[in-house]
Amino acid sequence: MQNILSILFCLSLFYLAVTPRVKAYVAVLRFQGILLTILLMVPFVEQFSVFAVILPATLFIIKVIIIPRYINKIILELDIKRTIEPTIQQFNFLLLVIFSFIVIFLASSILSLTTNIETIPFASGFAAVTVGIFIIIFRKKLIVHVCGFLVLENGIFLFGTAVASDLPIMIEIGVLLDVFVVVFLMGIALNRISSTFEGFDVTILRRLKD
Amino acid sequence: MLEFSVLILIPLIAAVVCYLIKSIRSQYVISLIVGAFHLLFSFIIFIGLYKPNLPFFFSTDSLSKLFLLILSNVYFWVVLISFSYLKRPVTLKAQEGKKYYFLLLNFYLFANTAAILSNHFGMYWVAAEATTLSVAPLIYYYRNEESLEAMWKYLFLVSVGIAFAFIGILFLTLSANGTIMEGQQLFFSEFVKNAAKLNPVWLKASFIFIFVGLSTKIGIAPMHSGDVDATSNAPSPIAALMSGSLRITALLGVMRIFQILTPTSSYEFAKLILIIGGLLSLIVAFIFMFKVNNYKRLLAYSSVEHLGIITLGIGIGGLAFAGAMFHTIYNSLNKMVLFFTAGNIHSRFKTREVNGVSAVINLMPWTGWLFLLSFFAISAIPPFGIFFSELMIFRGMLFSDKPWILAITMFLLLFIFINMGRTLFQMLYGEKEEKNIQEKESFEIIHFAAIVLLILLIAIGIISPGILQENILSISKDFGIRL
Repeated sequence: MQNILSILFCLSLFYLAVTPRVKAYVAVLRFQGILLTILLMVPFVEQFSVFAVILPATLFIIKVIIIPRYINKIILELDIKRTIEPTIQQFNFLLLVIFSFIVIFLASSILSLTTNIETIPFASGFAAVTVGIFIIIFRKKLIVHVCGFLVLENGIFLFGTAVASDLPIMIEIGVLLDVFVVVFLMGIALNRISSTFEGFDVTILRRLKD
Repeated sequence: MLEFSVLILIPLIAAVVCYLIKSIRSQYVISLIVGAFHLLFSFIIFIGLYKPNLPFFFSTDSLSKLFLLILSNVYFWVVLISFSYLKRPVTLKAQEGKKYYFLLLNFYLFANTAAILSNHFGMYWVAAEATTLSVAPLIYYYRNEESLEAMWKYLFLVSVGIAFAFIGILFLTLSANGTIMEGQQLFFSEFVKNAAKLNPVWLKASFIFIFVGLSTKIGIAPMHSGDVDATSNAPSPIAALMSGSLRITALLGVMRIFQILTPTSSYEFAKLILIIGGLLSLIVAFIFMFKVNNYKRLLAYSSVEHLGIITLGIGIGGLAFAGAMFHTIYNSLNKMVLFFTAGNIHSRFKTREVNGVSAVINLMPWTGWLFLLSFFAISAIPPFGIFFSELMIFRGMLFSDKPWILAITMFLLLFIFINMGRTLFQMLYGEKEEKNIQEKESFEIIHFAAIVLLILLIAIGIISPGILQENILSISKDFGIRL
């Protein structure tokens, strides 16, 4: 089950690599949030406990409902154009993503020989971190950078389940809240940027340098 | 529970109260009382009059006691001068920022205390991220384009960096695979005890990720840019807060993982990484000191330089390690004076460009002389404390197995001193412009704070209290260093 979900997760990353629309990024974030929620719910099939529902529920509320809605609201309010404005061609970007997937999956399968890890979720998590970084590097729009950051965070979350680290529930919720507040602050900053500068891409942020 | 409530709960409650109260003056009084209590309590804990017994994921050791004292000291002075700072005229847009100033400051104290006292890597991460979140809106205090850009860059870069640190923490879980630590919680103390059994490959990976991730927050090269932008565009109390206390909180995370690596085979590797990070920071500071023409950026690069020296000292080990611990204290005291006085200069001349500022000594004698003295202090001129700590670090380098590092460091520091001096003297002396002649400045609370801090800087350096020495010896012992 964990493997199927991880592969679906990887497919969503590929979709990110080819789509030119900002809205699609938000949809993918919502989809990934649902996948991660299901992943956390899997243990309940065998053993149900009310207390353990808190974490998946918080995850669902933050990653599937609040954050995508918030980003959509920003896109609407600021009237951001629909395309993502890449700095390199989409095809080259896809090649880069495929290449890094190959490297990551090979490396993970080699690592799994010596360490006890779930290969596919481990590699998928790492791939998501890489794709998140690529999105931040190769896209101009600031709102897309926020999406890239969230993809990176989702990757880390998946990665965390793969290495079977069970942090205390209080800390997991703390992590989720931190991510939420980061996105919230970034949204406010974007609002200010749109009213202070003309445009929403990184090229306007060049006042500070030596 | 007493220590837990004074150190962690009360700042949080104060933050909520500051949200409810509208009057800035009452917010200030509340924050000052909280800060004073916090300082008093950290001091009592530091000198060992009270043995704290913290619940949940918190605990204290020699290292956290020292860093806690540095934090509360910086916080107290920053709050003390904040009210006079907030009274200064700002643009209409910036008026709204004042409402949340003390709220965020209290929240910062809460988050930073939690980060320093945490005994659990997960807790540390959550709290460290919370400090970023509380500082980011404060950077945007002036509500202008530069501060907005600085806030965005800081928030983004540090959030991505700290996400990398989280990957490092997950690697630490992997390193426990197949040992008795498997499936255990991520407590520092437990990991330190069982460090020798951990998997060295994953430990190395974990160290690299945590170091690179947190170095965005520490502000050491090559990840310094967000931090430099933020420190140079934040209002000066916040810049002092960041240089004096936030950077060492991030350093604490690196030191925790470094402590775990101490008894393992990866120790030499980790030391090498720290040395490279430190030297790179010195080189970056060296290069930018030639071309910087914004005095707040100059001070921000000076922070990069000193955090570089501290990292270098930790990496060298031995006497240099103890020197680096002393250096964290002196650096935090000194940076406060520098940023406070630089803030005064900024509010008088309304510019951060060096060329727009001249004859500070004549126009603002109090600020000018204090700025000059704090420049001497940061350049390690005796009798200021930094002289003693740098001497210690240099001795440690000389008697280590890599004495050539001393030569490089001395060379870089000399040029940093010359360039910094050239720029600052141009500001302090230089020709007096007609339009700037106004009435002489009066003695304000900022000057009082600066004088007390400079006296502290000299006194701690010369007297070198026994309790402090004992504490640093015990930290060194925790890191497996015999002095």
